[in-house]
Amino acid sequence: MHFTVKRSLALGLLAISLLPLGASAQALKINGSTTVNLPAAEAAEILRAEKKLNIQVDTQGGSSGGISMVGDGLVHIGMLSKPLSDDDKKKYPKVNFKLTHIGEDAVAMIVSQDVWEGGVKAVTKQQLRDIYEGKVKNWKDIGGPDRRIAFFNKEPGRGTWEVFTHWVYGDSKKAPQVSFPEVGGNEETRNKVASTKGALSQLSSSWADGKKVFALGIKGEDGKVVIPDAAHIANRSYPMSRPLYFLTNGEPTGDAKTFIEFVLSARGQDLVRKHGYLALADLK
Amino acid sequence: MTGTAPKRREWDFTRLWSLGASAFALGFMLLMVTLFIWQSIPVWKHEGISYVTGKSWFFRQQEFGMLPMVYGSVMVAAVALIIAVPLGLGTAIFTSEFLPSRVRLVVKLIVELLSGIPSVVYGLLGILFLRNWVYDMLERFEPLNGDTLLTAGLLLAVMVLPTIMTLADDALRGVSVNQRLAARGLGLTQTETIFSIVLPQAAPGLMSAVLLGLGRALGETIAVFLVVGRQDNQWPDPIYSMRLLIESGQTLTSKLGSSETNIAYGDPLHWAAMVGLGLILLLMTAAITWVGIRLGKGKDGHA
Repeated sequence: MHFTVKRSLALGLLAISLLPLGASAQALKINGSTTVNLPAAEAAEILRAEKKLNIQVDTQGGSSGGISMVGDGLVHIGMLSKPLSDDDKKKYPKVNFKLTHIGEDAVAMIVSQDVWEGGVKAVTKQQLRDIYEGKVKNWKDIGGPDRRIAFFNKEPGRGTWEVFTHWVYGDSKKAPQVSFPEVGGNEETRNKVASTKGALSQLSSSWADGKKVFALGIKGEDGKVVIPDAAHIANRSYPMSRPLYFLTNGEPTGDAKTFIEFVLSARGQDLVRKHGYLALADLK
Repeated sequence: MTGTAPKRREWDFTRLWSLGASAFALGFMLLMVTLFIWQSIPVWKHEGISYVTGKSWFFRQQEFGMLPMVYGSVMVAAVALIIAVPLGLGTAIFTSEFLPSRVRLVVKLIVELLSGIPSVVYGLLGILFLRNWVYDMLERFEPLNGDTLLTAGLLLAVMVLPTIMTLADDALRGVSVNQRLAARGLGLTQTETIFSIVLPQAAPGLMSAVLLGLGRALGETIAVFLVVGRQDNQWPDPIYSMRLLIESGQTLTSKLGSSETNIAYGDPLHWAAMVGLGLILLLMTAAITWVGIRLGKGKDGHA
C-alpha cells in the first residue's frame, strides 16, 4: 500500500515534468519603439475587438529591439522610430527587411519646469553638442538659471537617441561615447525630467506636454527658432523629424498584412494623428 | 552505479527518477556555465585581463572594462547589508528568543510573505517613495537626481531583510533548549544567555543567512534597474571617495537588463562582453551562496 502511494506520486511528478512548456495559439507578435507603440497598441485593440485577431504588442529594447526580434524571427512586425541602417541589414543578411512608412514624428529636446521658467526656451546645435560632450555643465552658461544640467541620455539603440546623434554629429557612429544616467522608454524619460530640477533629455515631441516637460526650440545659424510643432515637422524645417515605420521580413502576409493595412487606412491614420504624430497625408 | 550502494531495490523507480532529476539539474548547470564561458571567449581574447580591471566601457570604440559595474554591484549590496543585517538579526533575536512560539510563527509568516513579493513591485515602490526622498534628503550634496547607488542599496535592504531575518531566526531556533536552560540554571540572565550562548552557537547559521541575503542583493535586477540611474563608467576618484554613492551608477545586473543587450546581439565581440558580465555575476553569486551553505551546515552536518 505504502509503496503504491509513493509510486503513483513519483509517476505524477514525472508526468508533470514532461508536460510541454508552452503550447499557446500563434499570435501576431509586434515589438519595438515605444513611440510607434501608442497608435499600434490602439490599432491592435480595435482589431482584437472587431476581427478577433490575437495580437501581442510589446516594447522590449525600443527600435533596436524591434529590428533584432524581426531579424531573429521572434516577432512578425517591428516598430521603428528611426530609419533602418546598413549595419542593421548587415547583421541579418538572410532577412529581407521591408519597411512600411506609417507616419512622422520629431525628437524634441525637453527640459524641466525650472529650466523653462528660468528662461531657456531654445538651444543651438553647438550648445547641445557642448552639453553632450560635457563642456557645458551648468544652465547659466547658456542663459539659464545657475543649476547643474541633469542630462538624461536616451539609451543607445533607442530611435530617439539615433535621431538626436544623427543630427548633432551627422552620423550616430561619430557620436562620442559618454556617461550620463540613461533612460529608456518615453514614459520614463518624461517622468524623470518632470521630477528632476535642471533636467534635459531627448523625447518624442508628441510627449512634450508643455505642463510638466517643455520642448525647447532649435535655434538655427540664422538665429531663427523653430519649435517642433506639426507645421514645422510637416515642412521639415524642424531638424530632428523622423519617420515611423513597421518592419517585416518580406512583404507582410496574413494577420500582419491585415494589421498594417488597417494602420494605413483612414481610421488607422487617425490613430497616428491622435497620438500627436503626423499622418502620411500631412506630409508634403 | 558504484558497487557500494545497497544491493536490494537497486533499480527501483523512485531512485531512478530522482537520480535522473538530479543529473538533469547538474547537467543544466554545467551546460550553462560552459555556454557562458564559450560565448564570452571573444572578449577575453580582445581585452585579456583588462576586461575585469578596465574602468571604461565604450562599446562603439570596442572598449570593454567591467570594473565600474562590479563597483556598483558591490556598493549597492554593501549598503543593503549595512542596513539589513542589524535590523534582520535584531528582529530574528526578538522573534526567536522573546516571542511565544505561536506569535513567532505569525510574525515569521508575514516576513516570509514579504520575501515573496515580486521585485518589480519593490522597484515601483522605490520609484514612488524612495527616489524623491533620497533626492530631498541629499539636496545639499547636490546629487544630479534621486537615482543613485544609495537609493538602490536602500531598496535592496528592504528586499533582503526578510531573507536574512527568517534564516537567522531558523539558525537561532536551532540552538538546543538544553543549552539555554543550562545557562539560565547557572544564573545567567536572558540577555547574557543570548549573547554568550545562543549567538556564538548560531554564528555559522547567522553568517550564512547574511551571505544568502548578499547573494540575493547581487543578483537582483529589476528593482535596481529602476532606481540606479544606469550611468556607465562611474569609478571613484580617489578610490576611497564615497561621493559616487549619491550619483547614478550601473550594476552588472542593470547593465544586463538594459537595451544594450539588443544592440550587442549580432556583434560577436560586444555580445561576448555582455555574456561575460553574466558569467562574472554568476560566479560571484555562486561563490557567495556556496560559502553561505557551507557555513550554514554547522557542526552536526545539516542545516
